[in-house]
Amino acid sequence: MVNVFNVQIFFVVFRESLEAAVIVSVLLAFLKQGLGGATDDPIVYKRLYRQIWFGSFLGVLVCLIIGAAFIGAFYSLKNDIWAKSEDLWEGIFCIIATVLITIMGLAMLRINKMKEKWRVKLARALIKTPTKKLERFKIGYLSKKYAMFLLPFITCLREGLEAVVFVGGVGLNSPASSFPIPVITGLMAGVGVGAILYFFGASTSLQIFLIISTCFLYLIAAGLFSRGIWFFENYVYSQKTGGDAAENGSGPGTYDIARSVWHVNCCNPNIDHGWDIFNALFGWQNSATYGSVISYNLYWVLIISIIGLMLYEEKNGHLPFLKSTKLNELNPMYHIKGKKAKQAGLTEDEHELLFKEIKAKRSQEGKIVVVDDADEISSTELTALHPIEK
Amino acid sequence: MKLTSLLFISFILSLVSAETHTWYFETGWVNKNPDGFFEKPMIGFNGTWPLPILRAKKGDTINLYLINGFTDRNTTLHFHGMFQNGSSQMDGPPFVTQCPIPPGETMLYNFTLTQHGTYWYHSHTSGQYGDGMRGIFFIDDTEPYPYDYDEEVMLSISDNYHQNSDYLTPRFLSRFNPTGAEPIPDSSLFNETRNASWVVEPNKTYLVHIVNVGRFVSQYLYMEGHEFEVVEVDGVLVEKNTTDILYIAVAQRYSVLIRTKSDASQNYAFMNAFDDTLLDYIPNGLILNSTNWIVYNETAELPGEYTTDLTQYFDDFYLRPLSNTTLYDDPDFVVTVDVVMDNLGDGVNYAFFNNVTYTAPKVPTLVTALTAGKYATNELVYGTNTGSIVLQKGDVVDIVVNNQDTGKHPFHLHGHVFQVIERHPESDTDVISFNSSDHAEWPEYPMIRDTVYVYPQAYVVLRFVADNPGIWFFHCHIEWHLDQGLAITLIEDPLGIQSNPNQALSDDFINSCTKNGIPVEGNAAANSKNFLDLTGQNVQVKPLPTGFTARGIVALVFSCIAGFLGMGAITVYGLADIKDVEHRVARDLDVDIDDDDADGATAFEEGSSSAGEVGK
Repeated sequence: MVNVFNVQIFFVVFRESLEAAVIVSVLLAFLKQGLGGATDDPIVYKRLYRQIWFGSFLGVLVCLIIGAAFIGAFYSLKNDIWAKSEDLWEGIFCIIATVLITIMGLAMLRINKMKEKWRVKLARALIKTPTKKLERFKIGYLSKKYAMFLLPFITCLREGLEAVVFVGGVGLNSPASSFPIPVITGLMAGVGVGAILYFFGASTSLQIFLIISTCFLYLIAAGLFSRGIWFFENYVYSQKTGGDAAENGSGPGTYDIARSVWHVNCCNPNIDHGWDIFNALFGWQNSATYGSVISYNLYWVLIISIIGLMLYEEKNGHLPFLKSTKLNELNPMYHIKGKKAKQAGLTEDEHELLFKEIKAKRSQEGKIVVVDDADEISSTELTALHPIEK
Repeated sequence: MKLTSLLFISFILSLVSAETHTWYFETGWVNKNPDGFFEKPMIGFNGTWPLPILRAKKGDTINLYLINGFTDRNTTLHFHGMFQNGSSQMDGPPFVTQCPIPPGETMLYNFTLTQHGTYWYHSHTSGQYGDGMRGIFFIDDTEPYPYDYDEEVMLSISDNYHQNSDYLTPRFLSRFNPTGAEPIPDSSLFNETRNASWVVEPNKTYLVHIVNVGRFVSQYLYMEGHEFEVVEVDGVLVEKNTTDILYIAVAQRYSVLIRTKSDASQNYAFMNAFDDTLLDYIPNGLILNSTNWIVYNETAELPGEYTTDLTQYFDDFYLRPLSNTTLYDDPDFVVTVDVVMDNLGDGVNYAFFNNVTYTAPKVPTLVTALTAGKYATNELVYGTNTGSIVLQKGDVVDIVVNNQDTGKHPFHLHGHVFQVIERHPESDTDVISFNSSDHAEWPEYPMIRDTVYVYPQAYVVLRFVADNPGIWFFHCHIEWHLDQGLAITLIEDPLGIQSNPNQALSDDFINSCTKNGIPVEGNAAANSKNFLDLTGQNVQVKPLPTGFTARGIVALVFSCIAGFLGMGAITVYGLADIKDVEHRVARDLDVDIDDDDADGATAFEEGSSSAGEVGK
């Protein structure tokens, strides 16, 4: 059996493609639902849709190239560069992925709440090219416009790299005949799960689907953050002991006892089949450190806090206890870019003044100000309808 | 004359001719460069290193005053191989037979020689003999030597580290060395130097006394064009056995006859080579096979390295002692110990005899034996972490060592020589333990020595007679493993120790103890009121937790709760309606969505919507 089907390879490929497939299919379903399918604005939809696929394929391509380089170095130079720095690579990728998913997830939730035509407008605005050439290269602009590209790209790159290097035979002593079948079946299984997610998502209520998929995304992101920290700690320990600790098994000597919160001699995501899925989805470690546990909890605390703040601000117009501050003012870029001065809405006093002016005008002119274009509902009218709380 | 008169007279004569040797040696640091590559401080005696070759005769009395010339550490001295019959307190290992000698203090080692042969002396305090405190001790017989020879030569071989134990030992016994990998030596030494030349004359027979004074690596010795005739091992004369390759583990001694050629035209290589199977890895630049020379002709060239097949080394198991001592009777008592290396709760790799890693007691075991009264035959008073076993006077004792480790170990018993009655070959697959109903046939005249190596995952069976009341340490002579606790303590006839006035503690002994704050009575927990109460004794570190501890469960539960709360928050947010969401999102994403042209070709403005203007 082992000669045609290497179980370890199957699980590795399945796990990697599962994570990538979850993220890609959530994005796709979101697009389909969010932009109303191909009917509302086919151009925009197509462009964003293409970004996702392009990102995924490019990610896979780049990881094949990098993976080939590692494999080449391993076989020709007998230098296992991958094993020596693996923990560092993995840790960095995990942290990058976590940051990306966190930002995207919240953005997606909020965008979802917009009425459909606004979402279309938003999408259109995101992919618009600025007239001033310089502004085309601003990172802020680029990352927003190509967000649909970036996330799948990084995800596929990260997942694929580890799978490619592993399957390429680095650190593996199996006959070549045992490779193809598990690779193909693993890919099919992972993609299959992703496809199910997509069809489920594309057909149910968008809000429910989005909430469920965002929950999943954040579970994965929390796990990623915890894993990233764990990888860094493992790297430090491996450097100090001069060996590849965790892959030596689960027994004593494979982890730093001083940093350990729990350790079980089983269920090791690196070598025990199946537990790596738990690791991918929830960040499970058989040998948890203070760093990995605390970071996991801190991440959720952070998410809950941000959501709480957003909810509060959206209900009350400002942050709790800080009447004149809005959430986006906490973003340092806000002050740096001087957006304060270009802040769209008026300040509270200006609103008040304007309200009085309109009232005065109305009573003066004896007529009602007509708003002829629904698009141009200004903040003045809105604040008139919903009085400002002082 | 009658035989008895003859014996009586020769006895008196030997007493009369017996000398007393009085030596004063002060320990201290001396900068030396033994291998020519690296100068470092070595431990010397009276400011010199290497330590002197001590020589005496059987029947002589030794008075060695060891003065601790260090400022910051204790020291001890062990005469390796001496039975110390009636003088157990002179044996040396700290907290076994003595208190360590504090800085500035002196201890007199006083004992009478009842043996002859090749021995050596070294510190028994951790790390010190590896740092240089070791020397050869040769004892001549009063009888003439049974083999003819022209000249006698002393030869020591050793491993050498460029760093001292102060640096190496903490890094070895650390959680960052979880596999217990021993530090790799930097070079080997031949008579405390390298590339030595031994100038010989042709047609002579040399009696060479060889001692491995190293702390870790066993070595092969072999010569180009010459053979060894083994005549003595560990002080025991044997029937001659010829071989090309000697294998000497640390602490072992061999005396060999080397017959030089009649042709004095060329020179020959005399190699000493590390047994690299003991090394965890072999660093680039480590010279495994070192070349020295047998020089017949000082003008001729010196040959290069000489290689040979080292698998044909001499197996000392088949040596037959000249005394023709037959196999001792069936054992009255069998000590079976399993050797295991494992990690404890501090992440450090320790060595175990039957799940116990030796942890020194608060009071030296000999002191407990002398002061425990009738409880001295109860093993409990010596502590539960000292591997203490009480032996009855006169018993034939077997020690069975089942080596469950994948490395070779040289084991040494203080106070005795033992018969080696079986040594099972190495096992590559499963561990092979001694089976008393299924074992090889035992030799009629077994080999006798005091330090023997056991093969990986195999066993060795030793037999001796408990005729020496005293406290005898049995341990692996690889210093790293002794540091890891691979030792047990044999308490032989404790009541016999108590009843011998010579075994009473000397003034120097008591002085060392009191100056160190160590009590001179009490059990392993320093309790002299109730010897059976071991509260407070030194025990080994707790084992590593397997599975979830309370801390782990709390962490896991909290993490799950955090996850659920997080998802709850997301759900709440996802379901909540936000007013003015479009503009908020647009503002936050810094995008202008109000400029809505069909062809989408509008200028991109910073500062988002134009909602601030009334009536566009």
